[in-house]
Amino acid sequence: MYRFLRFPILLVGLFLAVSSFAANNPQPALTTEDALGPQVVQPIEFPHNRHAGLRNPADPTNSDPLKGGMEINCQYCHTYARRSAVAGIPPLQKCIGCHQSIESVRNKPRIVELFKYWDAKKAVPWKKVHDLPDFVRFNHERHIKRFVEQQDRPVQEACGYCHGDVKEMTVARRQKPLSMGWCATCHEKDHPVVAEGGTPIAGQAYWYSFQKPVAQDKSAVVKAKGPNDCWQCHK
Amino acid sequence: MIDSGFDRRDFLKVLGWSGAAVALSGCGNTSIEDGKETVVSYVEANDYMIPGIGVYFNSTCAQCDAGCSINGRVREGRVLKLEGNPDSAINKGKLCALGQAGVQHHYNPDRVREPLLRNGSKGETITWEKAYALIAEKLSGVQGEEIAFLSGGVSGHLKALLGNYLESLGTKNHFVYEAVAPGVTRAANVKAYGVDMPRYRFDKAQVVLSFGADFLGSWVSPVHFSQQYAQFRKGVNGQRGVLIQVESKMTLTGANADRWLAVKPGTEGVLALGIINALGMATGDVAELVKGYDKARVSHETGVSPGQIDKIAALLKLRSPSLVLAGSAAEGYAHGSQNAAAINLLNQVLGNVGKTIEAPVSVPFPQMAPSKGNTAALKLLNDGLAAGKYKVLFNFAANPVFTAPGAFKFKDHLSKAGFKVAFAHYLDETALQADLVLPLDSALEDWGTQVPEYMTEGAQINIQQPLMERLHANTRGMGDILLNLIKQKKADEYKGFEDYYAYLRGAMLQNKGALGGGGTDDDTFWNTTLTQGIVKLAGTAGALSAHVGAAGLTLPAHAAADEQYPLHLIPGVTANLRDGRHTNQPWLQESPDPLTTIVWDSWVEVHPKKATELGIVEGDIVEVTSKTGSVKAQVYLFPGIHPEAISIPVGRGHDAMGRYARGYGVNPFQIMDAVFERETGELAMHETRVNIKKTGQRVLVVKDEGSAGALQMGRKIAARVSTDQVDLSKEV
Ligand code: SF4
Repeated sequence: MYRFLRFPILLVGLFLAVSSFAANNPQPALTTEDALGPQVVQPIEFPHNRHAGLRNPADPTNSDPLKGGMEINCQYCHTYARRSAVAGIPPLQKCIGCHQSIESVRNKPRIVELFKYWDAKKAVPWKKVHDLPDFVRFNHERHIKRFVEQQDRPVQEACGYCHGDVKEMTVARRQKPLSMGWCATCHEKDHPVVAEGGTPIAGQAYWYSFQKPVAQDKSAVVKAKGPNDCWQCHK
Repeated sequence: MIDSGFDRRDFLKVLGWSGAAVALSGCGNTSIEDGKETVVSYVEANDYMIPGIGVYFNSTCAQCDAGCSINGRVREGRVLKLEGNPDSAINKGKLCALGQAGVQHHYNPDRVREPLLRNGSKGETITWEKAYALIAEKLSGVQGEEIAFLSGGVSGHLKALLGNYLESLGTKNHFVYEAVAPGVTRAANVKAYGVDMPRYRFDKAQVVLSFGADFLGSWVSPVHFSQQYAQFRKGVNGQRGVLIQVESKMTLTGANADRWLAVKPGTEGVLALGIINALGMATGDVAELVKGYDKARVSHETGVSPGQIDKIAALLKLRSPSLVLAGSAAEGYAHGSQNAAAINLLNQVLGNVGKTIEAPVSVPFPQMAPSKGNTAALKLLNDGLAAGKYKVLFNFAANPVFTAPGAFKFKDHLSKAGFKVAFAHYLDETALQADLVLPLDSALEDWGTQVPEYMTEGAQINIQQPLMERLHANTRGMGDILLNLIKQKKADEYKGFEDYYAYLRGAMLQNKGALGGGGTDDDTFWNTTLTQGIVKLAGTAGALSAHVGAAGLTLPAHAAADEQYPLHLIPGVTANLRDGRHTNQPWLQESPDPLTTIVWDSWVEVHPKKATELGIVEGDIVEVTSKTGSVKAQVYLFPGIHPEAISIPVGRGHDAMGRYARGYGVNPFQIMDAVFERETGELAMHETRVNIKKTGQRVLVVKDEGSAGALQMGRKIAARVSTDQVDLSKEV
């Protein structure tokens, strides 16, 4: 075959292959701000609302599971989120730690199921609800350090930026698009890097001082954008 | 090899375009697959186990016998990466490429996962209970001398346990076989120094003269030697050490040398005696011996010019101490012992013994010292098999069907053994011939201890411990298997040990005092031992014999060339593949050979001059024929090989073992003649003579070298001069 023909033919072939691949795989509609992820079926239907939900003022003993939660701090179970880039899933031991002494629900089907795993010393095969592509390195620890530890925001608010209002959910469901554009909507905003009165928020002011120009509003609160270097997430 | 046709440049262009197309179609969040993947949590987690954060455990590299200590990163219960353990005096935190590939041994998709019993040409899965019962059944009524156990080098507690098992069977037939081992050098060392492997002090030497010892690549303890070499290059008092490498095929070490000399294959000993003569330092019978080796004769026989011999002698005189090494290239001939003896004699004449050659230390537990062996042991077994002597044969950590020289006809003889049991990681060539295959744990799942042959400062016992849980439910550690087997014979004696772990712990605690744990309680001692991964011992240093003599040293007269087979076949032992037991690890196939940059294939190194003479160009497929057989492979033109020799690397050419090994390259062991070293009876690996013929086929050699690599296209990126333009006495 003529050499000069070989290359264009291959190119056309490849283009056809790629475009037909794209045509057969329709893109999911680009999610809007609050588009939900799919409803995921879990081996045990874990009720987030029961654990993290607000107490029912009318039921101070918290006796009716359908009506109120226990306001457990997210970090009590999701303890790895503040210590590692990945949040992980709490070990089964954690569930059992409490539930072995909660006799009142011991015979409920979900708890019976839970103890079956424990007795067999088998891990619960939870399904991933929030799955980022492998080329994205989201760091839980950094976000918790900044919002919860440095800025002292409520835990549920901080987690909720990405995970939505978990205290209202039973099985967790993705609440945000988690696309790069969506991440950038936060990272492009000006955030206060000093608290009122000009006190730097931990090491942040130092870090942000490298980013010029730094916005300053009337109350003399210094503001800057969140980290927006590519490598922050794409390492 | 790929057939030429489609140009690499075109291919890259197209790849670029299609890559862009894929990238465009990949916009948006298509990669998010909520609810599809399982995220498995721990059932119980220790405090230090945090998802996403690595935990490090110490263990020992099992890819070769050098005994480097490893430090493995474990995350979410999976071992991800191995590095060297800095506390080990052997590798001081470093690891060679072969060691790095250890994770691919562990995760290898082709590992044997279930005990398999032969049923015709197929393997049938059976339970372990049945496998043990079957072994007991086959052993019953069989005499001790009808049982043979073939293994690679074993050491530590496993060796002790194996010894006890063989004793309980009443057999003395333990054949230790390492296909690539310095068997002849060991024997020559015993004669010259009184020990089989002295401690070499590269760091104290000012000149290293190595006769084919590839100490940076594949010889004895390459990671350790590389570090010593770095010291040597830094030099004493700022004076950089000089490395001279003498060999017929350039090795990795040769490529690093200041001066590389190609000698006629097999004449290393002649050159050594010639240098002794040129030094003029010898007295007595040594002087008498070397008298005849004047420059003219030596130069004629070895092909090294008289000027070079003078320069080497001048340098050795000027700089002392030096270190002279006899490597596999010198020992691989029928007169290998004599070659090595001549080279060791040069060391003695130079007064290096005691300075750069020191007495080694050994562990104070001789029953744990490594068992060593080379092809002489295999020959013995092979003869026994041929005579139909064995009713039961065990095989562990050796693959003789692949590595035995073709002339042994090992595979045919093997079939005469009654019942063959293979303890195996892969279904390699030998396991495929077995009647019963028992799957082994990987080195990263198993318990053990290892004692290296080559010790450095002080002695050490290396600990091997699991870095993670078993990947496959039905593999077992070799120790556990042996323990189970020995219980069939000596139930009472071993009933206290539930498993090999218990045996190991018990044995270590019993000797706590001697292992440096006197005064600590058992748990503390054991935990410290596991944490450190090494038990360091003072060790006992032997003594070197000071005897200098030339008694019995005679080098054969230069043999006339064989008309039918005019070329020497030099089996190349590469740093990555060694004897081919790890060829199924794709990283090793993929990493380019350091000298030729070829990947995933074998090649025949031919000197450009010889190639012109034969009308061969790079990529020609040639047939290499010896008395024993022939193989076909692509030609690579290599100036680093003597024109009278060709070289084919060993390790490739598997026809079993797994998807990354099978069908890639050729196996030069297949065409090796059965020529033996005269004194030790080891296989003379370099003695095979061959001829080469063009087949008419030609391929594109797949290699990294080329416009992207070594060819400088006139750009003078790295300047070079020919070594003949360098006056060695001024340069160094
Ligand atoms: S030399 Fe390489 S393969 Fe051998 S023990 Fe050391 S690191 Fe492992």
